[in-house]
Amino acid sequence: MNNAIVVDNLTKYYGDLLAVDHISFEVEQGEIFGFLGPNGAGKSTTQRMLTTLLEPSDGRIFIYGHDIARDAYPAKRRMGLVPEESNVYTELSAWDNLMFTAQLYRVPGSQRASRAQELLETFGLWEKRHVKAEDFSKGMRRRLSIAMAIIHKPTLLFLDEPTPGLDTQSTHAIHGLIRQMNAEGATIFLTTHQIEEANQLCSRVAIIDHGQIAAIDTPERLKAAFRRVQSVQVALEPDGAAHGQALAALEGVTTVVRMGDKWRLYTADPSALLPQVVDYARVHKLRLVSLNTQGPSLEDVFLEITGQEIGTVAHETGANRDRRQRKGGKR
Amino acid sequence: MNTGKMRRLQNEVAQAWAVAVKDVRVYYLTPPMIMFGLALPLFLFFSFSVKREIGPEQGMSRLLALTTFFTASSAGVIIIPMERRTGTYDRLLAAPMALITLLIGKTLVGAFFAAAVALVSLLVGLIWLHVDVANPPLLITTLVLASLTFSALGLVFASIPSRSVGNIMMPSTLIRWPLLFISGIFIPLSEMSPWARAVAYLSPLTYAQELMNRAVLGESLIAPWLSLTVLLLSGVVFLAAAAWMHQRSRRLGY
Ligand SMILES: Nc1ncnc2c1ncn2[C@@H]1O[C@H](COP(=O)(O)OP(=O)(O)OP(=O)(O)O)[C@@H](O)[C@H]1O
Ligand SMILES: [Mg+2]
Repeated sequence: MNNAIVVDNLTKYYGDLLAVDHISFEVEQGEIFGFLGPNGAGKSTTQRMLTTLLEPSDGRIFIYGHDIARDAYPAKRRMGLVPEESNVYTELSAWDNLMFTAQLYRVPGSQRASRAQELLETFGLWEKRHVKAEDFSKGMRRRLSIAMAIIHKPTLLFLDEPTPGLDTQSTHAIHGLIRQMNAEGATIFLTTHQIEEANQLCSRVAIIDHGQIAAIDTPERLKAAFRRVQSVQVALEPDGAAHGQALAALEGVTTVVRMGDKWRLYTADPSALLPQVVDYARVHKLRLVSLNTQGPSLEDVFLEITGQEIGTVAHETGANRDRRQRKGGKR
Repeated sequence: MNTGKMRRLQNEVAQAWAVAVKDVRVYYLTPPMIMFGLALPLFLFFSFSVKREIGPEQGMSRLLALTTFFTASSAGVIIIPMERRTGTYDRLLAAPMALITLLIGKTLVGAFFAAAVALVSLLVGLIWLHVDVANPPLLITTLVLASLTFSALGLVFASIPSRSVGNIMMPSTLIRWPLLFISGIFIPLSEMSPWARAVAYLSPLTYAQELMNRAVLGESLIAPWLSLTVLLLSGVVFLAAAAWMHQRSRRLGY
């Protein structure tokens, strides 16, 4: 059994809302598996099902070969869990938080203190070990919650967006730890909406949106799709519908989308397109109100991979909701 | 039992204990705990006992039943929705222990609080009011059993999938107050009309009060063994109901 996680046809309805739509995938032991998707894609819902906190509407989950709907105990013993929000006991000190978690996971009494010290030092919290977590900053709480998740040396670690809102130093520390744990043999399931984070860390990435997985591949191969949906956004004065065709004709532009008073030009090479846009404005005596380049958005990557029309979805979330309504009756 | 199972059992016992100790440390001074666990039963006691002429023994017996009931059953109702809101409840649900272990740990928390409040009341009664306790071993047994049973009752309400204390306090109040008023706590069973007595038998609090009466005053209508059995069975039923509701709540992710 080489797979740490096998997910088969996993589905979650919240009432009528289909949050996770019949997904299947495998995570091999020793992988850093990225679970990448925009807000509301169904990432946290999936992670909560994988960690036994949420019961699936349909489908099965095997962790180290154990069906967790039947017996979650062996899986729970070996997994560590960093949820979306840092859930530390604010009334307890960092030290007591770790001690309690160590007891909960039955870390042998003789190892608890040394393990806690090691983690507090790694995360730069040793000096603050007797401070109540309510006086911690967001980043400190995050680091403490990660320390709590790994005090029992899990072989399978789930992290739900571990770094948003943290400074580069904290982010570095967390990335370093993920790499180190992985080097020591742990499997990592990393949920994120940051393309860069997935690129840097993961051996394979699943791209999920609207509860569906569009692709699972190495970041290298997904990068091609990411590149195709970079864009240049421009606002011209005087504005007019007539610019559309002319802009679409510029070299390297794949699609042009009108967004309010702006034009978004999709291209694999924004740096080559920028001077052309500037030339276009100069030749036609237009004022450039704004001009900027945009990295790939996950929504666009998802549409590109699934062969749908790009540039439209992020701005009509209401319509998406409709599409995701369940057709049948209630459960 | 083989060693693997023995080891697992040891772990689960230690985990339930760890949960209980942690909760006591974290929550003993939180305002809702003081409000509902300490102030409310005392307030009830004084507002219903001051005018009536009751002796110190009778007062003691009533106060002990009241505090174990309210203090024990408030713990889960307050703590669990708070932990759901901060996400720390997930920590416990995801830990490698059986659901029943978690629930037993949570039952112990309410029982600790109730026992502490009862102990203080008891000391006050013994030292200042010179209360004579007729049957001290029965009193201890009753305090322990009633605290556990009523704490488990609190867990049934706490199993309602909600992150707000208010949403859970509401139904718990709707049920706990009637249980209080139909019980034999303010009017002795012997003074009730037959139909009122029949209704009183529906409230587990009646049996706790009867046991306290027997332990402190030395007299009761219901035989102690019967009251102890009813309390014990109620506790088991409450725990089972809480476990079942917890299982169901997992569909919603609570
Ligand atoms: N408890 C819930 N009840 C009802 N709907 C929910 C619940 N939790 C999530 N949802 C819905 O399910 C969908 C997926 O949510 P989920 O939290 O899994 O997304 P996500 O990919 O983690 O997003 P984010 O990046 O914002 O964390 C969303 O439409 C959300 O509104
Ligand atoms: Mg999420």
